[in-house]
Amino acid sequence: MENHTFEICLALGVVIPLISFTILAFFGANAPFGKPRAAYLALGAIASSCLLATYVLISWYGLSLEQKAQLTQEAFRYHWADFGSISIDVGVKLDSLTIIMYFMVTFIASFIHLFSIGYMAGHSDEVGGECKFHRFFAYLGLFCFSMLGLVISSSLLFLFIFWELVGLCSYLLIGFYFDKKFASDAGMKAFITNRVGDFGFIIGLALVVMYTKTFDLDAAADAFAQQFNAGTGIFAASIDLFGWHVSGLTLATLMGVGLFCGAMGKSAQFPLHVWLPDAMAGPTPVSALIHAATMVAAGVYLVARVFRLLTPDAQFVIAVIGCITLTMTALIAIVQKDIKKILAYSTLSQLGYMVFGLGVGAWTAALFHLMTHAFFKAMLFLGSGQVIEGCHHEKNIMNMGGLRKKMPVTCWTFFIGVLAIAGFGIPGTHIGLGGFFSKDEILAVAYERAFNMHAEAHGESGDSHGDNDNHGDTDDHGSHVRADVGDNVQLASAGSNTTALLAVQSANAMASGEGGGHANGTQAKMDIAATLPQLPKWMFWLPIIIAYVTPFYMMRCWWLTFMGKPRDQHVYDHAHESKLMYIPLVVLAVGTVYCSYWVFRPMISQASEVAANAPAVVAFDGKIHDYSEIPTHAMMTLTHGEGMVNPHTALAYIVGISWLIGMLFAAILYWNGPKLAGRIKDAVPGLAFLHKTLENRLYIDHVYDFILVEGVKTLGRLWGWFDTNVIDNFVDLVAYAAKGIGVTTGRQLDMGVEKGDIGLVDNIANAIAWITYSTGSGLRRPQNGRIRTYVLLTAGAAGIALLFVLIWSMSSDATEVISAASAQ
Amino acid sequence: MDASSILNFVIFGPLIGMVLVLIAPSQYAKHITVGTSLVVFFLSLMLFPNFLNGSAFDGAYGENMQAVTQIDWISVASLKIQYYVGLDGLSFALIILTTLVMSLAAATSWNFETWKVNKGAKGYFALFLLLETGVLGTFASLDFFLFYIFWEVMLLPMYFLIGVWGGARKEYAAIKFFIYTLAGSVLMLVALLAMFFSSADATGTGTFNLLEYATNPAITANFNDPAHMFLGFNFGQVMFIFLFIGFMIKVPLFPFHTWLPLAHVEAPTPISMILAGVLLKLGAYGFLRVCYPIFPTAAMDLSFLIATLGVVNIIYGAFCCLAQTDFKRLVAYSSISHMGYVVLGIAVMTDIGYQGAMFQILAHGISSPMCFFLVGVIYDRAHHREINRFGGLWLQMPKYGSLATLGFFASLGLPGLCGFIGEIWVLLGTFNAQATHSEMTWAPAMAVVAAFGVVLTAAYILWMIQRVYLGERREEYAGFKDVTARETAILFPMAVLAIFMGILPGYTFQLMNGTIDAVLKAMHVSSDAIAMAIGG
Repeated sequence: MENHTFEICLALGVVIPLISFTILAFFGANAPFGKPRAAYLALGAIASSCLLATYVLISWYGLSLEQKAQLTQEAFRYHWADFGSISIDVGVKLDSLTIIMYFMVTFIASFIHLFSIGYMAGHSDEVGGECKFHRFFAYLGLFCFSMLGLVISSSLLFLFIFWELVGLCSYLLIGFYFDKKFASDAGMKAFITNRVGDFGFIIGLALVVMYTKTFDLDAAADAFAQQFNAGTGIFAASIDLFGWHVSGLTLATLMGVGLFCGAMGKSAQFPLHVWLPDAMAGPTPVSALIHAATMVAAGVYLVARVFRLLTPDAQFVIAVIGCITLTMTALIAIVQKDIKKILAYSTLSQLGYMVFGLGVGAWTAALFHLMTHAFFKAMLFLGSGQVIEGCHHEKNIMNMGGLRKKMPVTCWTFFIGVLAIAGFGIPGTHIGLGGFFSKDEILAVAYERAFNMHAEAHGESGDSHGDNDNHGDTDDHGSHVRADVGDNVQLASAGSNTTALLAVQSANAMASGEGGGHANGTQAKMDIAATLPQLPKWMFWLPIIIAYVTPFYMMRCWWLTFMGKPRDQHVYDHAHESKLMYIPLVVLAVGTVYCSYWVFRPMISQASEVAANAPAVVAFDGKIHDYSEIPTHAMMTLTHGEGMVNPHTALAYIVGISWLIGMLFAAILYWNGPKLAGRIKDAVPGLAFLHKTLENRLYIDHVYDFILVEGVKTLGRLWGWFDTNVIDNFVDLVAYAAKGIGVTTGRQLDMGVEKGDIGLVDNIANAIAWITYSTGSGLRRPQNGRIRTYVLLTAGAAGIALLFVLIWSMSSDATEVISAASAQ
Repeated sequence: MDASSILNFVIFGPLIGMVLVLIAPSQYAKHITVGTSLVVFFLSLMLFPNFLNGSAFDGAYGENMQAVTQIDWISVASLKIQYYVGLDGLSFALIILTTLVMSLAAATSWNFETWKVNKGAKGYFALFLLLETGVLGTFASLDFFLFYIFWEVMLLPMYFLIGVWGGARKEYAAIKFFIYTLAGSVLMLVALLAMFFSSADATGTGTFNLLEYATNPAITANFNDPAHMFLGFNFGQVMFIFLFIGFMIKVPLFPFHTWLPLAHVEAPTPISMILAGVLLKLGAYGFLRVCYPIFPTAAMDLSFLIATLGVVNIIYGAFCCLAQTDFKRLVAYSSISHMGYVVLGIAVMTDIGYQGAMFQILAHGISSPMCFFLVGVIYDRAHHREINRFGGLWLQMPKYGSLATLGFFASLGLPGLCGFIGEIWVLLGTFNAQATHSEMTWAPAMAVVAAFGVVLTAAYILWMIQRVYLGERREEYAGFKDVTARETAILFPMAVLAIFMGILPGYTFQLMNGTIDAVLKAMHVSSDAIAMAIGG
C-alpha cells in the first residue's frame, strides 16, 4: 500500500508561500491587502506550511525505521524533462533530514514573519519615499517557497534550481532598500559571489551526471557506491582539463569539491565569504531568516545531502576550508563595532564549524549544530533588530550600553543566545544549551581524526593487505599496487598527515598510470579509498582555540550593548522595546533552551540512519555511526567503553568550560565600556596593527575589489575597445580594399546609399557574383515616396537571382557535369 | 484545412497582407499588419496537433515530415527545383516562434507615427510582412534552392527596414548588415551548386533536396568521401566550411559579429526584436538543417574549432557587455554571448547538446525580444540609451521595473526562467560529450570555460540593472509613465512563455526531441558508413 500523505503535505507546504508571493506581487499594493494585511497573508501562508510540517514531523516520528525506509522508497516521482536519454524527475525526498530541515525552516520563518510585521511597520519599509511593505512580504514568500523546495528536492538538478532561486531572493532582499547604493551593491555582491560558487557546482553536477547517469540524489549515491565497489565508472575514468589528466579517485574528489564549491558560495566559506557581512544591508528580519538560519545553512545541507558522493580527499578539502573560515571570521568578529556585523561574522564562524564538522565526518554533529544554530542565531538577529529599531537605526555598539533597563526582554533573550553560541553547559551532566553539545560533538570527532586514527578505522576492510610499505608495493604481476594508508598513518604520526596524503596520491598516480591494468589499479584505489587520512593536528587545535574566542566576542557584543553605562545619552533616551516583537524572541529563546539537545539530537541521529547509511559511506568512513554514538554515551551517561570515553571526556574538560572563561574575560575587559580594551590595544606593540588588519577584514575585500572587480571591468573595457576598434575596423578595411579592387564608383562605403547611381538589379546580380563590395552600395535614395518601387524590386530580386544562377550554370563547365550526369 | 495548406497559408499569408497594405490607405497599414501577423500566428498554432501527440517523430530523419507540400517548380535541363516545404522537430518550434515574435513586433510598431522617421508607413509595413514570409519560408524549406531564395528574400527587407527607419548611422549599419549577409549568401550559393552537381555525380540526377542529401546513402557517401576533392581540398570540409561561414555570419559568431551591435543600435525597436528573436536563429537553424546532417564527417573533424568559437562567443560577448554604456548595445552583445551556447551545444553533436542548443534558440527567441522591447520602452520615453544616465526607474515605473527584472533575469539564465534550461543543458552536454564521442577529450575543459560565462552574465546583467533600475528616483525622469496597456500586452506573452519554458521545459523538448534523435542517428549512420568504407 502506498501512502503519499507526507509528500503531498510537504509539497503543499512548498506551494502555499508561492501562492502568497503571486498574490502579493500582483495585488499586494492595493486593497484588499495594503499595508498591514499583506503581511497577514504571508504569515498565514507560512504558518500553514509550518502546521503541515508539524503534522508530518509528528507522524513521521511515530513510524518505525522500516516504515520510513519504505516511504522514502515509494515517494512519488514525476517525469519533468529528458536530458538526453536520462529522465529528470521531480519528486520529494522524504526522509528524516528533509523533514527536520523543513520543520526548522517553516517554524523559524513563521516567527520571523511575525516579527517582521512589527519591524517593517515602522518607517523602515519606505523605499525612496514609497511604501514597499507588500513587496517585502512577497519576497519572503518567494524565499520560503525556494528554500522549502530546496529542502525537499529529490533531484540534484532541482536542488540546484531552487538553490539559485534562493540566491535570487537573497539578492532581492539584501537589496530591499534598493534606492540606497550600498544596499544594491551588497545584493549584487551576494549574487555574483554565489555565482562563482555555482560555477563549481555546475562542474560537480556535470561530473555526477556524466558518471552516474542520473540526477536523483539516491540513485546517484547508489551508483557511486556501486562504481566504487566494482572499480568502474568514475573510478576507472579519466578526463583532460587544460592538460591536467584527472582520473579515478582524483576525479571523484574533483566531483565532490565541485559540489562543495556551491556550498562555499551559499554558506559563505572562505574564500567566498565576503558577501555575507555586506548582506547585513538588508532588513534585519531578512538577516535573521536568510543570512543566519536558513539559506546560509543550505550549503551545509547540500554537503550533508551529497555526503555519499564525497571521497576522503574531498572531505579533507571541506574540513580545511571550514577550519580556515571558522578561525578567520571569529578573529574578525572580535573587532567589529556594528552589532549586525558581529553577528554576521559569528554566523560565518559557526557555519565554518558546520562545514568543518562535515569535513571531518561528523555528519550528525554538523547537522545538529545547524539546527541549534538556526534557533539561537535567528533569535540573536531578531534581538539585534529590536535594538536597532529601538535605537533609531543605531548599529554601532560603541554608542550603546546600559540598554538592559530600556529593553529587558531583548537583553535577556539575547543573553540566552550568547550562552547558546558560547556553548554553555556543565561538562559531565545533562545540563547545557544546544551549542554546547553540538560543537563538542564536532570537536570530539575532530579529535578522533587527528589523534586516534588507528587501524581499527579500517578493521573490516583494510586488513587484507599487511604491507607496511610506505609508498605502495608492487606484487608479482607487476601491476597490483597496494597501499595501506592506515599503516602509513601510524608511521607518519609525527604530527602531519602529509605522508599519508602523499601515499594516497602517489599510489593513485601509480594505479592510474598503468594504462591497461585497470582492474588491478582499481583494487588499489578501493583499498585507499576505504581509509580516511589522519587530520593534521592544527585542524583540531584551531577549532578548540576558537571555542574560547566565540564566547569572548559574543559576550563583548552583549556587554557593550546592554550592560555598563549608556555611552550615548541620545541613543539611550530614544531606546524603547516594541512589545509586538516579544513573542518571536521568547519562542525562539524557549526553542534554544529546550529543543536543542533533547529534541534535535535524536532527530538528527535518526536522519543519519537514512541519509548516511550507504555502502560508500561505510566504506569511506566506517566510523560514522560510531561517531554519532559518542555524545549519547559519553555525555549522557559517561559510561562508554571501547576507548571512546577517554578522549571525549578529556575534550569536554578542555572546551567544556571555554564558555565561562571566554565570557568572563570579555566581561572583565569591557566592564566599563571599550576604553580599557582600547588602552591595551595602544599599549601592546603590534596589537594596533593586528586590530586594524582585522577591522579591514584582512584586506580580502580590498584585494577582490582591486583584482577581480576592477580586473574584470578593465578586461571588459579592453575587449570592448578591441571589438569596436580592431575587429570592426578590420572589417571596414576589408570592405574598402574590396572596393578598390572592383569597378569602383569612388564613394564612401556608408555614403553609397545616399549617392549611389547603380541600380538595385545590378547590385544584386553583382553581389551574387562576389563583387558586391565594389559596385554595391548603390541603392538610390530609398526614403520618401519611392519605397513602393523598391518593394516591387525586392520581390523581383529572387527571380533575377535565379535567372543569373541558371545562366551561369548553363554556360560554365557545369554543363559538362550535367551532360555527363544525364549520360549515365 | 489540412496541415499542408495551413503551412502554405502561414508562409504566404504575410504576402497577402503585404498586397493589402500596398493597396489600402496608409493609415490602415499598421492595422492590416497586426491583423495579418496575428492571423498567421493563429494559423501556425493549428499545426500543433501532430507535434503534440508525437506522431511527427516516428521513423528516421526526413521520413516523417509534417505539413508537406512537394511540387515541381522549375525544371530546366536536369535542374529540378521543387517547391518543397514541410516541418519537423527542428523547424516547427521556430515557425511558432517566428509568427509569435512577428506579431509582437507588429504590435510594437503600433506607435509608428511617433518615431523619428515616421514617413512611409506603407513601405515599412509592407517590408515587414515580406520579411515575415522570407523567414517562415526559410524555416519551412526542404529544398536547398528554395531555402536559398527565401534566405535572400529575407535579406532585402531587413536592409531597408534598418536603412530607412533606423537611427543616426542607419545607412552605415544597413549596408554593413547587407554586405555581411550577402557575403555569406555567396558562399552558400557556391556550396549549393557544388552540392547539386556532386549529388548528380552520386545518383545520376541532381537534387536540391536537403533531406535526401542527409539520408540518401549514395549522396552521403559521395559528400563525405575523404577522396572527393573540390579545388584541391576535401569536398565535405570545403562545403561544410562554406556553409558554416554563411550561417555563422548570421548567428553571429566571432569574428563576424560586428554588424550585429551596430544593426541593433540603429534599428527601430520592433526590428531589433525580429533581428534578435528570429533572424539570428536562421543561422543556427542552418547549422542544424544543412551543415551538420549533410556533412557529419567534416563536422566531427572541425568540432574542436567550432566549439572553441562557441566558447569564445560566450566569454567574449560577456566581456564586451561589461564595457557597454549604450543600453541596446549591451543587449546586443548579450545576444552574441547567448548564441555562443547554441553553437557550443551543436558543436559537440550529442543528443544533450542538440537539445540544449535547440532550447537555447527558443529561449533566446523569447528573452532577447523581451529585453529589446524593454529597452525600447525606456527609449521611447527618454530618447537616449546611456546606461549611466539612468537610475531609479524601478521606483518611477514599478510595473515596468518588475517586468524588466523578470526579462533580464530570464536572459541571465535564472532557474525557473527559460534561459537556464538551454544553458545548463549545453554546459552539462558539453561536459559529457566525451561519453558519446571519445575523441572529444577537450570537451570538459571547454565546458568549464563556458561555465565561467554564468558568472560574467550575472555580473553584466546585475550591474546594468543596478545602474538603470535601482537607486534613487531622478528629477530627469519624473514625468515618465509606467508601462501602457499596449506595452504590457506585448510583454505579457513573453513573460509567460519565459516562465512556462523555464518551469516546464518538458513540453518544449517534446516538440523537438524525436527529430533530434533521428537527425543524430542519421548523422551517425552516414559517418559510420564512411568509416566502414575507409576501413574496407
